[in-house]
Amino acid sequence: MTITARRQAQRPARRPAPRLATVLDIARVEARLLVRSGLVLAGLVAGGVVIWLFIHPVEPLWWNVAWEIGEGQLVLAMAVLVAAQLAAGRASRDGLADLYASFPASAGTRALGQLAGLAGAIPASLVLIGASAGAVELIGAIGTPAITVLAGGLLLVIAAGAAGIAIGTRFAHPLAGVLGALALFGISSQSGRFSGAVIWLLPWEFHQDDLGFIPGPLTGYPPAGAHATELAAFAVLAAIVALAVTVRAVRARAGLATAGIAAVALIGLAGAVQLRPIPTAALNHLVTESANPASAQRCTTASQVRYCLYPGFGSLLPSWQAPVNGVLAHVPARPGHTLTVSQVGTTSLDSTLTHGHPKRQVARWDAELGRAPAIVRPGSAIYLPVGSWPAFGGQLADARFNLALAAADWATGIPITSSNGPECVPFDQAREAIAIWLAILAAHPRASELQAGLPAHGIGAGPDIHGTIVPIWNFRGAVAGQVDPFGSIPLTTEAGYLLAHAMTSLPEQKVANVLKDGWSRWINVRTTDAQLAAALGIPMPKVPVPPTALVRRLIANQGPNIEVCGSG
Amino acid sequence: MTASAWRHRLAWIRALPLLARHVVRTMPWVTLISGCLAGLAFLAIMARVADTSHSPLTQGTVRVAFLPAVAALAFVVRAPFRPLSQVTPVPAWVTPASHLLLAAPALAATCWAQLLIMARTIPPALGRPPASYPLAAQLAGWCAVAVAAAACADRSRYADLGGAVAVPVTFAAIALTWYAPVTARFLVDPPATAHGVTIAWYAVAAAALALTGAAMRDQWHRYARALLRHGSRG
Repeated sequence: MTITARRQAQRPARRPAPRLATVLDIARVEARLLVRSGLVLAGLVAGGVVIWLFIHPVEPLWWNVAWEIGEGQLVLAMAVLVAAQLAAGRASRDGLADLYASFPASAGTRALGQLAGLAGAIPASLVLIGASAGAVELIGAIGTPAITVLAGGLLLVIAAGAAGIAIGTRFAHPLAGVLGALALFGISSQSGRFSGAVIWLLPWEFHQDDLGFIPGPLTGYPPAGAHATELAAFAVLAAIVALAVTVRAVRARAGLATAGIAAVALIGLAGAVQLRPIPTAALNHLVTESANPASAQRCTTASQVRYCLYPGFGSLLPSWQAPVNGVLAHVPARPGHTLTVSQVGTTSLDSTLTHGHPKRQVARWDAELGRAPAIVRPGSAIYLPVGSWPAFGGQLADARFNLALAAADWATGIPITSSNGPECVPFDQAREAIAIWLAILAAHPRASELQAGLPAHGIGAGPDIHGTIVPIWNFRGAVAGQVDPFGSIPLTTEAGYLLAHAMTSLPEQKVANVLKDGWSRWINVRTTDAQLAAALGIPMPKVPVPPTALVRRLIANQGPNIEVCGSG
Repeated sequence: MTASAWRHRLAWIRALPLLARHVVRTMPWVTLISGCLAGLAFLAIMARVADTSHSPLTQGTVRVAFLPAVAALAFVVRAPFRPLSQVTPVPAWVTPASHLLLAAPALAATCWAQLLIMARTIPPALGRPPASYPLAAQLAGWCAVAVAAAACADRSRYADLGGAVAVPVTFAAIALTWYAPVTARFLVDPPATAHGVTIAWYAVAAAALALTGAAMRDQWHRYARALLRHGSRG
């Protein structure tokens, strides 16, 4: 016997490595691979981009943004699912199943280690939450974040990873993971096809909720706790499936079956909780504060303008005041009645809110919302819907111009909105050009943006006013801020815009003096654009007339009648 | 090049009939059909939901349902044992190219079936479904991009995971064309016209197929840097 052989004989038989230590070792390696995975990092970036696309257009409301962060987590979850499936299917895919079978760690131990290794996806998810929360706070968020909703996003990532491992242990081909990720995306992206509370049963609902339009957090909407429980139970179920595929021992399988039944029961229970109707008291409160905003809003009067905002929205006030004050600073005389700028809450309740409530109760809520001042008297104030005011950038500049134009319409006597009638056009009225000029001075929009509202080929379309087609100036940013929530503010004519544009090239003091000298005349309905141009000493800009054939076609395609605007 | 040299170079064409059986047998049918059926199953479920919710399916849903087929196509281009096949008289690109040709009818049938499912959810009162030729062009473009990405990945160090690399790259490209204003102006209807979208997507498909051709004909061997270092020392 050689020395080496003797030594080997003397050495005690190597004991199998303790299972927990092996699991932790595998978990550490798998977690490190997941943290460094290019796929997960790409998912993190893509998730961040998706969140940014969702949150940046308007002032972020935390009760809405927390859910939108989950939409970015869904993208990360897809990447984690594919990465986890690739990891779990590694042995079979590379034809190394026999080699792995010779290792001290069994397939079940490896699967357990991989499941524990999903901890490697947590940093990416937390980075996504942290970065999004930081960005939202920098923009100026309204409200406070709901931890349960944010935790739901994290659980979604973990559940997707567990599903990836479950798929990978059975199907090693990479396409299986891709199909799993696409199923996750497909179901969530089509959430608009589902109605009622069913939307909360989907992995993460997209675009079907009303979270962005309610003036404050609503109890049970979304059912965040129950949804997080559903996702956690789903993660456990997926882990059980992954282990059941790999474990051979009958006793272990029986234990897994029991745990699986418990997980399914928990998913069912969480689903049932999510399907429960929203408490009547919470909906009553929502309806009351939307139908009777005076009961909830806080009003501030500054420079004889009344601003009414829901609690927590005070940060919007300076952004509203700037364009309105800019207009008022150039107006020689204000109208007799006060200008009110007010937020509008929910104008209707959809089935995601009213599910499970009796039809009579829903009809009562609808009737109450129908009596809201913004609907009954739309011309009484400038109404700005909750969740529509942009946070920054070009959209904010456009919204400020729209608000300034609405304030200028009020100052010059043009109806802010037409009450229950067709929209109107201030055709050949000098006050329209004055209003546009005031709005340009107050909000300083980009000249290119204004010019883009002119017809592309020089010949514009518009309504038929007494047999004449009046070309319209379509300001590209007209929807920003939803200053016209019901689509009934006056149209702006191309002639009015061109005259206002010509006025901006004159010295401001010269225009101000001309307006001051005959203000009551200029805001008279009968004073024409040509008279204003003559008083300013500038030629009236020429508006190309559409060809006769086009006029005939436009008249034939006319929708509802549009009248000439009268007094405001 | 003389005529005899050309004849010599194209001699492999005579071997094509013999290759047909091999090509059909090595075609990843399960992968391709799984992708096509997964999309069809998803669309069938959505059609059922559309019936109950009275909201007809749109071309947007068809686009989502076609993604699994696009993903499956990315796994079809793989040329196994390429270093070996490169030394045979038949060019190495013949097998993956033939696989692509075999996949085309399956993809066309999937697209046709999906459009049929969509059309059935549209009630007659709403009129005819929108024109499908821009959608067909778009889906053809997506497939070509997936194939190009897979062919390029197949010629890289990550050839073993070529399909898995190509799928996210393709989806990222699709998302970019959809949401980036610069590309959306030409590739998304609206703002582009249906005619413009069709031309733009067929142009993308043509460019992607040209890239695929170049990648498939590429004969370089790529090794890890460390391996090359060892080789140069030896």
